[in-house]
Amino acid sequence: MTTLPALELEHASHRYGDLWVLRDVSLSLPAGETLVVTGENGVGKSTLLYVCAGLIPATSGRVRLLGHVPNPNRPSELVHHGVRRGFVFSGGGLLSNTSALGNVTLPLRYHADLFGLDEAAIEARARELLGELRVSQADFHALPAHLSAGVRRRVSLARALAVSPNFLFLDDPDADLDAATKRLVYDLLERLRNDPGVTLIVATTSSELIERLGVPPRELAHGYLLGPGRSLSTLGPAAQC
Amino acid sequence: MSTSQDPLRPPRSTLPYDPRAEYRRKLGVLGSLGRSAIGTARSAVELFGTLGLAVASLGSPGAGARRLVRAITFSQILFTGVQAVGLVSAIGLLIGATLVIQTSLIVPAADGELLGKILVAVVLRELSPLVTAIIVAGRSGTAIATELGNMKVHQEVLALIALGVDPPRFVVLPRLIATVLSVVALMVYFSVVSVVATATIANVVLGASPLDLRAGISRALLPFDLVLFVAKGAGLGTIVGWVACHYGLSVKSSPTEVPQKASAAVVRILLGCVAYDTGLTALFYWLVARPPY
Repeated sequence: MTTLPALELEHASHRYGDLWVLRDVSLSLPAGETLVVTGENGVGKSTLLYVCAGLIPATSGRVRLLGHVPNPNRPSELVHHGVRRGFVFSGGGLLSNTSALGNVTLPLRYHADLFGLDEAAIEARARELLGELRVSQADFHALPAHLSAGVRRRVSLARALAVSPNFLFLDDPDADLDAATKRLVYDLLERLRNDPGVTLIVATTSSELIERLGVPPRELAHGYLLGPGRSLSTLGPAAQC
Repeated sequence: MSTSQDPLRPPRSTLPYDPRAEYRRKLGVLGSLGRSAIGTARSAVELFGTLGLAVASLGSPGAGARRLVRAITFSQILFTGVQAVGLVSAIGLLIGATLVIQTSLIVPAADGELLGKILVAVVLRELSPLVTAIIVAGRSGTAIATELGNMKVHQEVLALIALGVDPPRFVVLPRLIATVLSVVALMVYFSVVSVVATATIANVVLGASPLDLRAGISRALLPFDLVLFVAKGAGLGTIVGWVACHYGLSVKSSPTEVPQKASAAVVRILLGCVAYDTGLTALFYWLVARPPY
């Protein structure tokens, strides 16, 4: 019996205007595996994560999550198919007109009937997650603009975990964090890496995080996802321009 | 072997997407027209897509999502409708005063009945829908386009998609419903204020009887005026909410795009509203039934 890969990219490419950011990226990630993507700043790691998560459509090629093609206009369809995504953005992503608590409860409220949660359970889960990530109670009702960058990152992580994701996409998850919070996040990511129900996709430049995750990273360079059997030299001189 | 290759054009790579192979040919007049036509068609498809997806999401399942959308709709109605009451009152009052002044200048012996007929033709049928839509476009159209543009810049829309929250349902639909309901309600309110202001000022300045004014209004009104009134309100409200949301969501990633898109949204809304209003007026009052003046 063959098992369906959790995440599948077939010759996926993406461009902004005339600039190709991703070129012919193919990968197949089984459920519970971890993919670490590294590369220089501005090389397209965030774009790769967006395409993998189905937040933006690939210009060409195909993306599948648990066998389903994501549609950015109807993302709830994926949730109905059992695809629960958590995403931590490098530069924010929290709803600016909603409190920290409101941000975490939003996906739970939106899919309340699907998850079988009532208002009390939603609130309790959000508070528990924020507490676990050491967000102080005083910050629960603050708007993201009134929170420090580190707290915003922790709220973002709590929101991503709220839906019990089977896919967790993390874009520079340890940026702006102090040493204690970094340790907390690393422990959490280690736990998630060992969870067979969570497929983890991490984009980072942090050697400390790569070391903690213990997964050989794949480099993104010139739009190509390099890795076993694929290097810039095997792609030819055009890839190095 | 030919050696006529352009030396400035890099050799084509065998790799799938070699940027050196990106080569934009110089286009002639026809080519430019073609590209422009394709661009316009694509924009039109995207514009109608924004409306279509939002309307289609009305039937989407999920009681939790419905509760959230309802809450956002109420807060949007509060901002778009309720908070605009003061401005609409002031403009309705001033329009009523202007009507009395202009009528008395053209017809110094104008009575209440004539004023009533002019009130119906100018204010109730034309100015009420148009002025209300312009007020809502100026206040809420810019606010919606700016808010959604900033949401795009700060990756909030991407975050919604990641959380499985449908942007057409969660972002566009509540604003669309709010602008439609607000424009219709404000049109009714604007009309009432204008009529009361005209009657009061005409009575004080010209000595016109309010009863004559009421008689003039009754004679000028047609049965389908009510249908047209609602059709204009609903259509203009849709244009305001729809176009504002579309332009807000069309911001890519730069903060400098936000004011540009907001400005473009308001220009398109004004153009769309005037064209829609004129079209309905021409269709009904020329082709369907001429008012009995």
